[in-house]
Order: sequence, then C-alpha cells, then structure tokens
Amino acid sequence: MIALQHISKWYNIGGKPNFVLKDINLNIQEGEFLSIMGPSGSGKSTLLNIIGMLDLPNEGRYDFFGQSVYDMKEKHRQDLYKKNIGFIFQAYHLIDELNVYENIETPLLYQNVKSSERKAMVGDMLDRFNIVGKKDLFPSQLSGGQQQLVGIARALIAKPRLLLADEPTGNLNSKQGEEIMQLFKQLNEEEGITIIQVTHSEKNAEYGSRKIDLLDGRIQQHIKENISL
Amino acid sequence: MLRNYFKIALRHLQKNKLYALVNIFGLSIGIASCLLIGLYIWHELSFDRFHKNADRIARVTWQYNFGDAENKTATTGTRVGPDFQRHFPEVEAYVRLLKYPRVVRYENAMFDEKAFLYADSAFFSLFSFPLLKGDPKTVLAGPDKVVITASAAKKYFGNEDPVGKTVNVGGTKDFVVTGVAKDAPAASQIRFDFVGTFSSLGAAKEEKWNEANYVTYLLLQDEKSVPVLQNKIDAYIRNIAKNEMQLTGPQYMAYHLEPLTRVHLHSELDGFEPNNNILYIYIMAAVAVLILLIACVNYTNLSTAQSARRSAEISMRKVMGAGRGQVFRQFIIESFLLTLLAVVLALLLSALFLPAFNRLAGKEFDTDILFGPVTLIVLLLAAVVIAFAAGAYPALVLSGSRLISTLKGGFAFTGSATLRKSLIVFQFVISIFLIIATIIILQQLSFIRNKDLGYNKEQVVVLPVDRTISEHYDELKKALATSLGVVSVGGAYEAPTHIDWSDGITTKDGKKITVNALPVDEDFTRTLGLKIIAGEDYSQTDVLQFDTSNGGNNLRYSFMVNESALKQLGWTPEEAIGKTITKGNDGVIKAVVKDFHFRSMHEPINPLLIFYDKRIASSLFVKLSGSNVSATLQNLEKTWKERISHRPFEYHFLDEEYAELYKAEQRTAGVFTGFSSLAILLACLGLFALTAFTMVQRTKEIGIRKVLGATLADILALVAKDFLLLVILALLIAAPLAFFTASKWLDSFSYKVDLHWWVFAGAGVVTILIAFFTISLQAIKTALANPVKNLRTQ
Repeated sequence: MIALQHISKWYNIGGKPNFVLKDINLNIQEGEFLSIMGPSGSGKSTLLNIIGMLDLPNEGRYDFFGQSVYDMKEKHRQDLYKKNIGFIFQAYHLIDELNVYENIETPLLYQNVKSSERKAMVGDMLDRFNIVGKKDLFPSQLSGGQQQLVGIARALIAKPRLLLADEPTGNLNSKQGEEIMQLFKQLNEEEGITIIQVTHSEKNAEYGSRKIDLLDGRIQQHIKENISL
Repeated sequence: MLRNYFKIALRHLQKNKLYALVNIFGLSIGIASCLLIGLYIWHELSFDRFHKNADRIARVTWQYNFGDAENKTATTGTRVGPDFQRHFPEVEAYVRLLKYPRVVRYENAMFDEKAFLYADSAFFSLFSFPLLKGDPKTVLAGPDKVVITASAAKKYFGNEDPVGKTVNVGGTKDFVVTGVAKDAPAASQIRFDFVGTFSSLGAAKEEKWNEANYVTYLLLQDEKSVPVLQNKIDAYIRNIAKNEMQLTGPQYMAYHLEPLTRVHLHSELDGFEPNNNILYIYIMAAVAVLILLIACVNYTNLSTAQSARRSAEISMRKVMGAGRGQVFRQFIIESFLLTLLAVVLALLLSALFLPAFNRLAGKEFDTDILFGPVTLIVLLLAAVVIAFAAGAYPALVLSGSRLISTLKGGFAFTGSATLRKSLIVFQFVISIFLIIATIIILQQLSFIRNKDLGYNKEQVVVLPVDRTISEHYDELKKALATSLGVVSVGGAYEAPTHIDWSDGITTKDGKKITVNALPVDEDFTRTLGLKIIAGEDYSQTDVLQFDTSNGGNNLRYSFMVNESALKQLGWTPEEAIGKTITKGNDGVIKAVVKDFHFRSMHEPINPLLIFYDKRIASSLFVKLSGSNVSATLQNLEKTWKERISHRPFEYHFLDEEYAELYKAEQRTAGVFTGFSSLAILLACLGLFALTAFTMVQRTKEIGIRKVLGATLADILALVAKDFLLLVILALLIAAPLAFFTASKWLDSFSYKVDLHWWVFAGAGVVTILIAFFTISLQAIKTALANPVKNLRTQ
C-alpha cells in the first residue's frame, strides 16, 4: 500500500542541513496497524505528515497503491488524499464554530456528497459512536474523550482506507485512552482499515501489529510481529 | 456547502462581537455615506437631462467689451433669438426668458411671486415641462396669457379650474390663465410658478442687441451642429459689431453657445437657479470614496489580524480535503455576507439621516428613492465589489497559509504586519487630511462672516419698492422711520451685499474708468453705516438740487466714490472732493467712502460710484434698534398695510441675503465637517479593534513584564508607541497634501485667512490624542489585569 524510499527531510540552520528524517525506507501493507515510536524531536510527526501528504520531503520517493505520489498532479493527489486518508490529532482540532454533527459532516462537503446521502452517513456515524444525543453540542461542551471520539468519527466519515493518528490519546486520561485504542483495534481487525499511529506509549503500541522506532530521523529497528492480513 | 459557510460566518460573528460590530457598523457607515453622497451627485449630474430635447438645446451667452472692461453674461438682448432663427437654418426654435418678481392677484389672494417667468411661445414645446391642462403649442401664443403650476393653481384657486380665469400681474396688467403645468422638477436650471407671454413685455416690441436682460435658449436641429453654428455666428456677429454696432479698436462682442446640460456644473454663469461647480462634485465623490476606503481597510486589517484565530479552522478544513480555492471562496462568501448585513444597516442609517443630510446639502430627497429598485441593485453590486475589495486580501492570506506550521505551532503573521501598518497610516492620512480641510474651510467661512464688511448688515430689514410705491416714496419712508424701534430708513437700487450695476465715469481730463454704480437716497449711507473718510454725507441740499425737469437735461449729480475708485483715478481723498466727473450727466464728488465689500469675497473690491437718485430705488433698508424685533416688525407691517394695498408685506433681513452669497461654501463646510468626523470615527474604530487584538496576542508578554515590575504607564507607552508612530507618520504625509489643497481652494477668494502652522499641528495633536485615547481604552484593561491569571491561560 505504502512504499517510502530514501525519504529525507532537513532544514538549513546556519548553512548546514539539520536532518529531521534521514533516508527512511518503509513499506506498509494494507491492513497493517503500525505504531511509530520515538522520543520528542525524532521526526515521528513529520513522517506521519509525509505519509498523510500534508508535508513534503526534500528527497525521496513515495508510492501509494503503486502510484508515485510526487509525480502526480496536485489535483490528483488531492483526490487520492480525500478518498483514502483520515487524520486524527492529539489536540482533536475540531472546528470550534461547528457543532458535532457539522464537524463530522465537513469532509463530505469537500467531496461533494449529496445532502441526503450526507445526512444518512453522518447519522450512521453518530449512531455507531453512540453520540446521537450530542450532535448539537459544540466542541467546548464536550469532554476530551468525547471530542476525540468526534475527531475519529470525522476521520472515518469518508470511509478512508488509511487512518493516521498523531498521539491520539496524548490528551486523554488512561481509561479514555484505552477505549480509543480498543476502537482502533476493532477498526483495524473488523473493517480492515490500515492504521498508522504515532505514540509515546509502549502500551498503546502493543495494540498494533508492527512497531518502528525513530531516533534522530532514522528508523532504529523493524520489529516484525504476527502480521494479520 | 454554502449553508455551511454562512453558518460558520454567522457563528464567527456571534463569537467575536467586537470584530463584528466594528466591521458591520464601520462598513455600513461607509456605505451609507456613499449612498447619500451618491444621491446628491446623481441629482446634480441629472440636472436638465429630463428635457426630451436636452441635447439639442443651447444657452446663448454674451461676451463683450465696449471700451471699458471685459464682460460676460448669460443674458442677451431681445434680438438674438429671432435673428439667429432667421439667419441660421440650424436653429429650429428659440425661447427668450425673463425672470422678474411680480405681485400676482386673484380676487383676495395676493402674493409676491419670485418665480415669475416671461417666455416666448415655444417655451412648452422646446422644454419638456409637462402641461396638466392646455396645449403646449398654443398656451403662450398671443399676448397676456399665463401658465401656472399646479401648486400655484392651488394657492390662488383652491379646487377651482384656473383655466380661463384672469389674474392681475404687477398691479397693471391682466393675464388670462391658459394652462396648468406640473411643478418643475428640482433638477432644473429653470424653475417657475408662473410663465407669462414674452410679448406682454414692453421690450418685446423691439429687437435689440444690447439691453441684455434676457436669457436666450436655442433649439438646434442637431446636437452636432454646435461647432458649425458657432463658427457661423462668430463670422456673422463680427460683421454686425463692425457695421451695425460700430464697434472699433479693442471693442468687440461675441455670442457663445453653451449646451443646456453643461450649464449647471460647468458654466461660470449661473442658470436661473444657482449653479454648482463640477469641482465640488469631484470633492464630494472623493470624500465618499475615502470614507468607504477607510471602512474597507478596517475590514481587511481586522480580518488579517484575526487570521491567527482562524488558522486552526482552515488547517483542519485542508486536512479534511478542502482545496485552496474552496477556502478562498469561503472567506469571500463570509465577506459578502458581512457586507450584505452592512448594506441593510446602511439603508436604515441612510433613511434615518436623510433629513439631516437634506438640510446639510440643501436637497429634498425622499426616503422612497433609497428603497427604489435602482438603488437596491446598485447597492447589491456595490456589496459584491466591496466584499471582494475588502475580503480578497485576507481570504488570499488565509487560504494560502502553510498547513504544517499552523498545525504545529499556531499561526504567525509576519508579512502582513507591514501591510496592516501601511493601511493604518493610509486611514489616518485620510482622516487628518479631512480634519485639516474642515478646519480651514470653517476658518475661512468664519472669516467671511465676521470680516468687517465696511457696512453694518445686522438688524436691517429689506423691503421692496416698485413703481407704484415709488410715487409715495418719501411718505412711506417717513412713516416707516417714525415707527417704534426703527433707527433710520434708506433706499437704494441694489442691496450692498451684491452690486451688479456696471457703469463708466469720465474725468475732466478725459480719463475713463469702469465702475460699479449704486443709486441711493439721502439716508442710505447713514442707515447702512458706510464710513465717509472725506467730504460730507448727502443732505437736504442734494435733494433740492436734484433737478429732473427738462427731460433730465438740467440734472447735476451728487457723487460719492470709494477708495478703490480713487486709486484708479490717482487722487487723494482730499483732492477728490469737489471734482467734477461725468456719468451721462456731470456731477460733483461730495464724499469718499471707505471701501466696503459689495460683492462676494471671491472678488476684490472694485471701484464704486454712488450717486443720488431715489427715483430708481428698488429696495428700502430699515435699520432696527434691535430691541423687541418682533414688535417692531408688527409695527412695520401695520404701517405698510395702511399705505400699500397692491403688495403684501414681505421682507427679509440683510444678513440673510449676505449668507446666501456663501451658500455653496456653507454646504461644502457642512458636508466636510460631517463626513470628516465620520472618517476619524471609523479610523479610530479600526484602531480600537486592532489594539484589542494586539493586546490579546501580547497578554503573555505584558504579564511577564508586570511580574518583572513594569508599571501601568510603562505598559501603556509600550503599546501606544507603535501605533502613535504610525499616526505621526500619517500626519507628516497628510499635512503637505492638505496644505496644497487648501491653498488651491483659498485662491478662489480675494479675501482669505492665512494658513497657520498651528492648524496643522492642532489637527495632528487632536488626532494623536484621539488615537491615544482609543488605544488606552484597550491597553489599560489588559495592563490592569492580574498577571498571574494571564500567564496561567497561556
């Protein structure tokens, strides 16, 4: 599904390149649940953003389902992104001015889904996450766990095949965190959604099928475990 | 999608009330100003265009020099119209007009009609003044007929049909009413209540080139024939001047064609109604646009300042698949929504302030015009343009913001800080410019009002004198003078506010000069308080000496001259006394009067000749003691009614007449004062909101500084410094601009105030104080807040 070759990203500080990512080679199969770990500043989020097409490397090649991402036209890449990728953030990043329903609906607006269809899809999603009663509330009226639930619902609404999560439980207490991780596992196992998460916590990483460690922009080791396809 | 955009825009406005208030309120003030000024400009531009033949009608003006001075008038002799029609096939028809106040009487109804016109029979077919009754071709055919307007008909005849009725005009002639015309529109250089037949005038019997008292309009076959016809006229008149008028040497005369539609805004010669100046129209338009610009700048500034708050939202939209175009569209739509709200509010504001604006601009607009389809369509288009002008930059910046940096560490607005600052400077340049302009206009007007005119215009009542009254002149004068509260009564041909009579005098050694001339009676100089610097005032001797027997051949004038005349003649006041000069008849200079302003301050004081001849006095000046004016006026009315039956008691005060001279300037001043206050209000509103946002951004910094021991004053200085520097920069730019423009305007006056540096400094200080106050309102709030709390929220 994803093939990264020789991906490097750097910033020039005082004329010298300061590498955030250095020569990353990574293959991810569809259906994997990958955890990216590493200390602060090791380049985890940058790698996730590059995979999520939100950021560009200085060097390297990225194939998504066999298509070279950096050789595509902007519009094509945008389409690919819209159809296949969902994002979840540590700080939830819900739009404050929109209520739960509208937040979940927004990605569909950008994919020109018809109004009646949108209604059905958002309705299903609310139902599935048990937040029908909260659909008219605004983010500021929800707890952190509830906000992240909405964030996940929003990421899933367009039925992506790849879910990217940047420390999804970082702002949650342990109980809420566990619930979210259970949900991820379920999504991965029951619906076959490929998940890549960035995390600090070994415990969270255990939910995944594979783990990589980043240090100073390099992958430390590949830990192959029982890959469930 | 659209609904989503509207929803989020509205919720955003709700959440940021200050932002919404400043933007919507500011924009609506800008739009309302533009709307009102636009109405005014549209009205001025539409002058005389309602005539079907508007493009084919030309006014004839006369330029001549009969050996003394250059003259240019919009009036011509009786011959011009008919003669041109006979000689030039391009001229299809002509109308000669004379506006002459007449007392009109029907049974018991008697009024002094100021808007009484005498016109040739083609009047109603050449111009498009619709008739409610009567045939435009025939209503003025044949002598002694009159067409009256609907409102005049109501005044005299109530609900009766006026057609066929006979009214008495001027106490001498009876006119038959042959038609009723709709009231003339406001945007017309010709306005009237009565139109009588031109043939009823004595002057109509003979065609003359001179005795130019009539305004001639020509209907041309083709609007394009003006240049051709003008050439033909030039050649034709050169011939007439030489052979018929026997003009020689520097003497000449010429007639010019002026398209009807150019008279009101482009001619130096007034129509029957006072002209406006296209320059003032440009100024008004500029003021309107500037105010709107200030409001738009507020929008742009506040939106970009706010972008920090919106960046998270935008990033998320992009993460969810929004393209740059979609985000751009969202913000433009938001801008449009806001503008639309502002337009609605602007309409309400305009309706509310329309009466005040009418007073200010001297117009009579109805609120209906604001809600008419044309206005609404124009406003809608304007909203689109404004939405784009004000919203494009913020939308561009916001939609182009770098996604990753925003997600990581919030949004840093670096590039546009310069733009924001430039825009603030721009706003304050406009505001300061308008403030300085306003101060100078007000100064000049107050200078004119308070300048020693050389006569006393206060507490003087002006009463009309006509031929009938003239027969009992002395009797009436005596009766008025002995009324309680009256100091003295004098008469003259014209009021000292504006003397038009042009004449020439010749000295014994053959020197000729052109003068303005004023026939007066023996009490005039005393009543008006003219200062005599040499010689003596008129006395009974002059009255007795005024010999009108023998067809005027025995007449010897008693003259007074002003200082300017002496300067031209080269005499000292003492030398002048007793000298004999000629104005038709000989006369002796009895006195020299100090120069007084007998024309508008736009013109220098010309040589003036005052001569004793009360036979042609057409106004009486009644000087009141000033105590209990209303009782005195009642006394005057009683005295008048006892003696004068053919004319109602209608009076005005001389100072009102004087004020009329500066109506245009007064209006400009009013408009400027009003709109420059608005401009500074808007600019400060923007500054206020911007400070508010800056303070939010700097809350942490200020908290730390306070912990480190900064006082309130320190923090105020810190915050105010940046903004005040901008205002000072604006002052440096605006001051020379204002100086230049004000000098230009003042150059149109012969008597004017000096431009003092303190006007500029004062405007600067006032602006800086206002700006500082505005900034402090916000800054103090933040500076006083508990620093611990501020730091915790960060």
